[in-house]
Amino acid sequence: MSKEFQPNDVPVLHNYDGIQEYDNPLPGWWKWCFWISILFTPFYMMYFHSGAAGRSVDEQYQTSATENTRKQYAEIGDLAGDQETMTKFLKEPKWVGVGQSIFKANCVSCHAADGGGNVGPNLCDESFKHIKQLPDIIKVINEGVAGGAMPAWATRFSHKNDIILVSVYVASLRNSKPANPKAPDGSPIPAWPSE
Amino acid sequence: MSDVSSASLVNVGQHGDSQLSQNGDSQLKSATLPDHSSTMETFSYDDGIVRMFLTATIVWGLIATVVGLLVAFLLVMPSMASLLDIRISSMLSFGRLRPLHTNAAIFAFAGNAIFAAIYYSTQRLCKCRMWSDLLGRLHFWGWQVIIVAAAITLPLGITQSKEYAELEWPIDLAIAVVWLVFFGGNFLMTLWHRRERHMYVALWFYIATIVTVTVLHVFNNLVVPVGWFKSYSIYAGVQDALMQWWYGHNAVAFFLTTPFLGLMYYFLPKAAERPVFSYKLSIIHFWSLVFIYIWAGPHHLHYTALPEWASTLGMLFSLMLWMPSWGGMINGLLTLRGAWSKVTSDPVLKFFVVGITFYGMATFEGPLLSIKSVNALSHYTDWTIAHVHSGALGWNGFMIFGMAYWLLPRLYQTQLWSKSMADWHFWIGTIGILLYIVPIYAAGITQGLMWRAMDDLGRLQYPDFIETVQSIVPFWWARILGGALYIIGIVMLCLNATMTWLNRPSRYEVPVYSAPKLSQNYRDVAIPPSKLEGMPVLDAAATLSQFSAMDWHRRWERFPIRFTLLTTLAVIIASLFEIIPTFLIRSNIPTIASVKPYTPLELAGRDIYVSEGCYNCHSQMIRPMIAETQRYGEYSKAGESIYDHPFQWGSRRIGPDLAREGGKQSSFWHWTHFENPSKFSPGSVMPSYVHLLEEKLHFGEIQKRVEAAHFLGAPYDQELTQADSMAQLQAAAIAAEIIAQGGPVAFSGHLIKDSTAIALIAYLQRLGKDLFRVETPPPKTVEPEPPVAQPNPVAVTYTPRQN
Repeated sequence: MSKEFQPNDVPVLHNYDGIQEYDNPLPGWWKWCFWISILFTPFYMMYFHSGAAGRSVDEQYQTSATENTRKQYAEIGDLAGDQETMTKFLKEPKWVGVGQSIFKANCVSCHAADGGGNVGPNLCDESFKHIKQLPDIIKVINEGVAGGAMPAWATRFSHKNDIILVSVYVASLRNSKPANPKAPDGSPIPAWPSE
Repeated sequence: MSDVSSASLVNVGQHGDSQLSQNGDSQLKSATLPDHSSTMETFSYDDGIVRMFLTATIVWGLIATVVGLLVAFLLVMPSMASLLDIRISSMLSFGRLRPLHTNAAIFAFAGNAIFAAIYYSTQRLCKCRMWSDLLGRLHFWGWQVIIVAAAITLPLGITQSKEYAELEWPIDLAIAVVWLVFFGGNFLMTLWHRRERHMYVALWFYIATIVTVTVLHVFNNLVVPVGWFKSYSIYAGVQDALMQWWYGHNAVAFFLTTPFLGLMYYFLPKAAERPVFSYKLSIIHFWSLVFIYIWAGPHHLHYTALPEWASTLGMLFSLMLWMPSWGGMINGLLTLRGAWSKVTSDPVLKFFVVGITFYGMATFEGPLLSIKSVNALSHYTDWTIAHVHSGALGWNGFMIFGMAYWLLPRLYQTQLWSKSMADWHFWIGTIGILLYIVPIYAAGITQGLMWRAMDDLGRLQYPDFIETVQSIVPFWWARILGGALYIIGIVMLCLNATMTWLNRPSRYEVPVYSAPKLSQNYRDVAIPPSKLEGMPVLDAAATLSQFSAMDWHRRWERFPIRFTLLTTLAVIIASLFEIIPTFLIRSNIPTIASVKPYTPLELAGRDIYVSEGCYNCHSQMIRPMIAETQRYGEYSKAGESIYDHPFQWGSRRIGPDLAREGGKQSSFWHWTHFENPSKFSPGSVMPSYVHLLEEKLHFGEIQKRVEAAHFLGAPYDQELTQADSMAQLQAAAIAAEIIAQGGPVAFSGHLIKDSTAIALIAYLQRLGKDLFRVETPPPKTVEPEPPVAQPNPVAVTYTPRQN
């Protein structure tokens, strides 16, 4: 405790029900911190609210969104949702992994964490209802099927690559062994093309 | 209370202290003396009312914390209540009971405590009995009835859904009357009749409390009633959010801070028998606290759809609030100089020291959390819960316990039954607080970091929400242990209070005091000249130095009405600076043409969402951050909640955000999920809402709700006459969907289209979809085809921003 708090207190002024008061000066550090917190205000306001470009929350978000998309897809650019692309990416574990991340964020509550199916169908078996070839998966995810049982996801992703890669992941689940597979639904279709 | 107060006389004549205070000023500063010719008056204090409030404090303190323990258990064992009858178990959900816990802790436990403190200290600081014993009793019983009404209505799902303002409008009216008329009126009349010339700092804080809580309560609870048990806030979306957190934050300020500072200023120097450290600091931190606090509310809404300037003001004023708050802490702790040896032996002072220390910690943490970038991490997490509990358990709880142990022997005119048990209470309570807050801080920071963690490829590292919940469940268990210890401490207080009460004398002594009536012809002590007077400085500098000596404030302290008006002015001006622009400047809430009002069935579903307290676990406000938009979808816009009376943005994500829930799952998924959440989400902490499937919706009640929403600005047309049939049609369509998707036709003896769950599903399926809705040309058919019967057209042309 600094010396200004030691016994040379400014004497008692008042007395209320036996409670007395000193009139000690304000601690210096207290005054300084208070002034600094007040003086900080105009500078902060000027920096963030003077209208300079790139400083609003929305602009900062747009910048980081651009940056994040670049991080995600600079390597592969905009994918075409065709059979050829999907076949190619099915062989790239890194991008199948990206698809898995999207799957975990959005799909597991209906199709289960391992794709074995829950309220939604089992994605790991050989039977499909609305799918004949790889790009059909993209179509089903985009537009939904069965009167909303599978909802349309077209507006829910920030990049259309997301839907293509999650479709690739779904395709990769075929012939995997889920813990609690739901009974097959639909009819068997030919294997995915290898080239 | 069985205690019969006797009027035995212990005439102490001129109260020893009054001599001092009458002459105190004049002895120190040469000035004209107040005349002493006024007639002496005799009076005694009403301690019966203090005994009543103190008893209520202790009883409600136990109940509030036990309900807190119950909701803590419900988080780790969500299906705990499912073995009970469904009518009971539907009331025992976290969503319905969490408001009961917060309301009981704030308004029942802390509320009764501040009344006890104010009734005890005001009489003594004014040398005057409370103006009306009857108003005091009306206040006491009125307040207890309000608490009981809260304890009944909240579990029944009768709620306005605004945090700490959940109680419905009839109870709100009762609160206004009891608070302002019975309590405020009695208090101000006591000030008016006081025999002490100047008002002590504790009274300033009481005045600020009474005035500001009234203003906050009235303006946040303006509603349009729909029957006795339901109402719609007159504000919507952004404006409602601003009003709510203007209220919510200042409920913390003016219900849990200012009255407790008043309490501290009276009971701490009393217990320590030391003078207050600095009168000047009292003045400065009082006015700065009152003026600055009121601006800080928007820091609860950082990164939401609230206009950014308001959020910035909230942050900057929160930072400015740090020192005014610490002014109170300093004045408390430095008052103990020379009395620290007493702290080791006196449990009262121990409670006060730790309580004030927690105040200092919480009021440092508050500004810290208000910094936008810190808030980006902490918001929606348990960090906030840890923060409020260090304030509530540490500051409010311990100040109350300290006061209680000081008051018990004085009120019951006997020794405290067991001082060592009070010591035990202190230690076990302190350990309890630490065991509560440390794990919950860890939980909050853990979950916040998991939510935002991204990998090298710009992907969420923990995309599965449940994984982030499961990782903090062990912390929730540790919290239960801490909370239980705190409750054991309160049980010790109950025992100690009961035993002390049993040892009371058969008749209480009622000392009679005497003091002169305040004379009318008082002249103020002259303001001493500036120390710079006559020195070679500008006149302005001398004036400034004279001003900063604060002697002018002394005069204000003898005018209670003027002081009250000045306080009111400080609070209202600050409020208007934020409220008026938010309401009047259109660009603050850009409208979105595709956002339409809810259909009648969706409106009914929304009322169920409110009633079940879903907002206690689910936010509806996606912030503009990559980790959020990756997880939940496009961030929320101000124009999206313009029909939300009240807003449902929420403040805590125990479950995922629902702002873009519409169309994300099938209706059958929702149906089954309400029945058994963990069927689809293993590890989910959401309880079963099977009672929504079992209960039938009262379609007949929808009409008047539609009318109320229309009155508040929803552009309805045929809904105004056909709400019932439109709702029936939409319910049938959703039921048909569910059946087609594999759901049952009937449930619990009725068709599923009549279930309340269908309305709630209708609401959830609508959430967040309007932003992407493409305007379709109006159908040419004359036959009124309810827009509800067709699902909202899927956005076909909305293209997400491509980078």
